[in-house]
Amino acid sequence: MGLVIAAIVLWALLWVLNVRLANGPAAHRPAVRLGIPVIFGLTLLIMWELIVHGLDVPQVILPAPSSIAARIATSLPILWQDFIQTFVKGALSGYVIGCAAAFAVAIIADRSDFLRRGLLPVGSFIAALPIVGTAPILVMWYGFDWQSKAAVVVVMVFFPMLVNITAGLQETTQMQRDQMKTWAAGYWSGLWKMRLPAAMPFIFNGLKISSTLALIGAIVAEFFGSPIVGMGFRISTSVGQLALDMVWAEIVVAAISGSLFYGIVALIERQVTFWHPSQRH
Amino acid sequence: MKHILTGAATALALALGGPALAESHGDNSVTLQLKWVTQAQFGGYYVAQDKGFYEEEGLDVEILPGGPDIAPAQVLAGGGADVIVDWLPSALSAREKGLPLVNIAQPFKTSGLMLTCWKDSGITGPEDFRGRTIGVWFFGNEYPFLSWMSQAEIPTDGGDDGITVLKQGFNVDPLIQRQAECISTMTYNEFGQVLDAGVTEEELLTFKYEDQGVATQEDGLYVLEENLEDEAFRAKMVKFVRASMKGWKYAEENPEEAAEIVLDNDETGAQTEHHQIRMMKEVAKLTAGSTGALDEADYQRTVDTLLAGGSDPVITKVPEGAWTSVITDEALN
Repeated sequence: MGLVIAAIVLWALLWVLNVRLANGPAAHRPAVRLGIPVIFGLTLLIMWELIVHGLDVPQVILPAPSSIAARIATSLPILWQDFIQTFVKGALSGYVIGCAAAFAVAIIADRSDFLRRGLLPVGSFIAALPIVGTAPILVMWYGFDWQSKAAVVVVMVFFPMLVNITAGLQETTQMQRDQMKTWAAGYWSGLWKMRLPAAMPFIFNGLKISSTLALIGAIVAEFFGSPIVGMGFRISTSVGQLALDMVWAEIVVAAISGSLFYGIVALIERQVTFWHPSQRH
Repeated sequence: MKHILTGAATALALALGGPALAESHGDNSVTLQLKWVTQAQFGGYYVAQDKGFYEEEGLDVEILPGGPDIAPAQVLAGGGADVIVDWLPSALSAREKGLPLVNIAQPFKTSGLMLTCWKDSGITGPEDFRGRTIGVWFFGNEYPFLSWMSQAEIPTDGGDDGITVLKQGFNVDPLIQRQAECISTMTYNEFGQVLDAGVTEEELLTFKYEDQGVATQEDGLYVLEENLEDEAFRAKMVKFVRASMKGWKYAEENPEEAAEIVLDNDETGAQTEHHQIRMMKEVAKLTAGSTGALDEADYQRTVDTLLAGGSDPVITKVPEGAWTSVITDEALN
């Protein structure tokens, strides 16, 4: 019980420290601005550690952060293999294929109103399919390896991308489009020079949503049949082996890689759409 | 991301609520966590409940079906069940990982685990598995296969010389689709599913773990060691095992009726009569010859099989106190 009390006291102390820092004179310094969330995160981890030990929580219910860290340190090769299999081969390839396909379909829909009215409902139909239903079917079609995981990711990211690109291409006004026409711009140069740049905030919105969907899709798809490598495989089988520290180690890898992926997309967005009001700092 | 956060929150809530879940052993309620969904594999327990055998012992038994994402040992550790159905290999592995499971009864005498292969793949014996693709169940059910292969010194990490292992789902599609040359089957379940898919027995070659001398004990009853120190809990388990074995023997003799009882208890409605009757008849062959008491020779063979794993044994040291005859001695006399 002493450890639990220690955890609560520590939380209170660090809370006070953070409040002081946030309202103090140095609040605007980059180091302090970064330090505040770091201190908060560390507080949570230390509390978790103390409470798990203090209440004698069994390892199979919730392992302590220290044992998760130890597992990460000793299993780096396995975690790396799983990351390559699931994130690089499954999620990234599916993400690229899905976004490219959505872009192509969006251009087709943009060129013909008839096709737009036909294709968008199909797109929303695909989006409404539950992953637990589609994943086993795609595993049957594309085999157990990463190809079927990429296919699941394609299905997951296709619709948000399609909706965002189509909406983005509608972003310009009739006046602006007429202006391009008076300069004798054809469809493609009008698209390239004016409408695509104007659509960029929408497109990046879709890319950011899809980046998290892609990772979730690739991991969950592995629950339905996989080779014996991959983050989803490891998470689902380690629970059965009661190796909960391994489950959490994979969750840490997924969290870090997912956040980085999202962050990189957001950074590119900042470079590309510097002109947009939302990017003014 | 959101999933991970909610998962962490749930885990934290579980951790904080954990001690509050500690149930009292004084009352007459017993919660049994099954290893898998409601089906004839657990016919004996459903019969004991439906026929009032538990009631005669003064017990109020709740049977919780399992599923693909339920690890019975974890449910037991979390206080969600008093007793679980599990296979000995995963129970011993859990024990070595620090969760003290103890076998209190062994209703299944024989193992029903097999590998089923296409005959036309040219496989004649385990040596021919090299360079092939084989479907294996994980989630604690992979230990028998991995032990067998490490005894045969066949690597399971792919390549020309080793086996490419697939994580098999809960169906026989990889074999039917020829995505794998062999898959794991149970005598009482998946093997029948392969036949139902229109494959004849002549087209198949089956390796029973029993025949290969690598059989491990399946479907035993396990409790937490610390609970066994409690006299009231022990008395409850004696009654539970006695009534359960009565249910098993009844199911052996009346497979059709037992299958009906299982169907009545299947809330998902996923099971069919034809399938359950066949399963019950096959399961009866596995429970035949077991009084409920664990046979030490069978236990020893399981332990030897698991320890014999060359590079990657399932358990690294001889387990101590992993089973007890205290309950069955009293229940069956």
